[in-house]
Amino acid sequence: MSRDLRIAVIDKNPLRAAILEDGLRAAGHMSVVHIDDTADLLGRIHEIDPDVILIDLESPSRDTLEQMFKVSRSVARPIAMFVDRSDAAMIDAAIDAGVSAYIVDGLHKDRVKPILDTTISRFNAFAKLKKELETVKSQLEDRKVIDRAKALVMRAKAIPEEQAYALMRQVAMNENKKIAEVARSIITAAELLR
Amino acid sequence: MTKRLRIGYVPLTDAALLHVAKAQNFADARGIELELVADSSWANIRDKLVAGYFDAAHMLAPAAIAVSLGIGHIEAPLLVPVVLGLNGNAITVSKELFEALLQEAQGDMSNPRVTAKALARIVARRRERAETPVTLGHVFPFSSHHYQLRMWLRAGHIDPDEEVRLVVVPPPFMVETLRKGQVDGFCVGAPWSALAVAAGAGAILHQGTDIVHDCPEKVLAFRAEWALSHKEEVSALAEAVGDASRWAASPSNRSSLVTLLTSTAGKDVTAAMLERILDTSASTSGSALVASGLRLDEDAIKADPAQALWLFAQMVAAGQTTYSDALAEAAAAVYAPALGPPIPRAAATPVVFDGPAFSPNDIPSYLAALEDGRTSA
Repeated sequence: MSRDLRIAVIDKNPLRAAILEDGLRAAGHMSVVHIDDTADLLGRIHEIDPDVILIDLESPSRDTLEQMFKVSRSVARPIAMFVDRSDAAMIDAAIDAGVSAYIVDGLHKDRVKPILDTTISRFNAFAKLKKELETVKSQLEDRKVIDRAKALVMRAKAIPEEQAYALMRQVAMNENKKIAEVARSIITAAELLR
Repeated sequence: MTKRLRIGYVPLTDAALLHVAKAQNFADARGIELELVADSSWANIRDKLVAGYFDAAHMLAPAAIAVSLGIGHIEAPLLVPVVLGLNGNAITVSKELFEALLQEAQGDMSNPRVTAKALARIVARRRERAETPVTLGHVFPFSSHHYQLRMWLRAGHIDPDEEVRLVVVPPPFMVETLRKGQVDGFCVGAPWSALAVAAGAGAILHQGTDIVHDCPEKVLAFRAEWALSHKEEVSALAEAVGDASRWAASPSNRSSLVTLLTSTAGKDVTAAMLERILDTSASTSGSALVASGLRLDEDAIKADPAQALWLFAQMVAAGQTTYSDALAEAAAAVYAPALGPPIPRAAATPVVFDGPAFSPNDIPSYLAALEDGRTSA
């Protein structure tokens, strides 16, 4: 059994990095180090001497990593980027997920692929989670707006809650709008007319 | 019929012509719907262009050549029908280094030979005292920023690989690294030097144009295979860039250009900075507040294979590859002016402040002369 691969994760999002570290540990990779996306990146890489570097595509520090090929004298072993063009599907999946990887030259593909698979799936899972959170947040937001507008309609027309809501829903249907949009218009109008 | 093209770019002032082509409807008029996608690194730009995520990209000219020749780690032939501008870089140094250079300088600080020799004394002293070597930042291994630093160092007979440290620092981190003393200076494109000066982190030592007059910068690059099977779209976009260039170079459009670029730049970039960046009149270095000299005019955008050869020679000089006739030929072939806008006049040729004259027809002699200059030190 070969020694455990050292993996460095460069991601300015600590939550996503934690999710990824967790996934890699679950897959049996115990030496995972999260590096902050800050200045002395090459120095940190030099200390950690990783076999695999995983980096968030949004990080401009990718360009700093590119330099490792040139200054391989200062880094213990040359590091080659994972753009094995024979595996286009993997590259597409990585770009879609927003992650890139650098691996030590000569490291066997079979050892790297599961790491990349885990990384891509964790990045995707994080993106999905983030999207769901945003949806929930905007639904909550909509709920609040609708309640406020409903109260305004109830007061203005002296009608009960159910009728006010039915009225707003009718307008939304007639105008082919979302009820939250109608609610926002009501609030805007009420503020104007106050 | 309108064709939609997705173009990746790095938010720098010299992405200007792409913004103009879109905002002034030059692309639309030629049947191209432009989708401009900002990205955060040159590595992303390269990978996403090669993988087909972008149809074309705003790319560092030497990076486009390196990818085409397979120097580095990816080999993918690219084609450049049009250049997106010349100049725009500056060498900015920390206040400490500026002061030290002032003390050491024997002559006019606006002369890069004088500052390079002054720097050589500082470099030597730090080495004698076993202090951290002078560290200078640039933006990518294959960039004119990197080569400009090497040219400046060469004039002081400083070995760029042994006596100083050259490191890649992403522009958004430059001000911070300069402040923290992690770098002593850097060569970076507009508007980043202006921002570093505005933040009080450093001073512009030399305009890029003081080092190389008419220095190649960014190009519009396509995958060669795609470009050759979509010649109409390639030419239409390249011609739209040509239209944008004529529009941008017209003095009557200057204020509209500045307004447009202010809206596409980051929040700290002011109209006054952009006015200076776009100023191509005589350079005033040393005390200059902002790098200037970015050229967007028609004579600055022709994809002349001689420029590609000049960049290839700089790669060889930097030890990134070795010279061969075949590689030189391949480098020249990356630039495809036939697919670009018709520009009758010759393209601008880069002129370095120091060292031998360049002839695209005899690169080996040029490289040998560079080598002689080094060994005679």
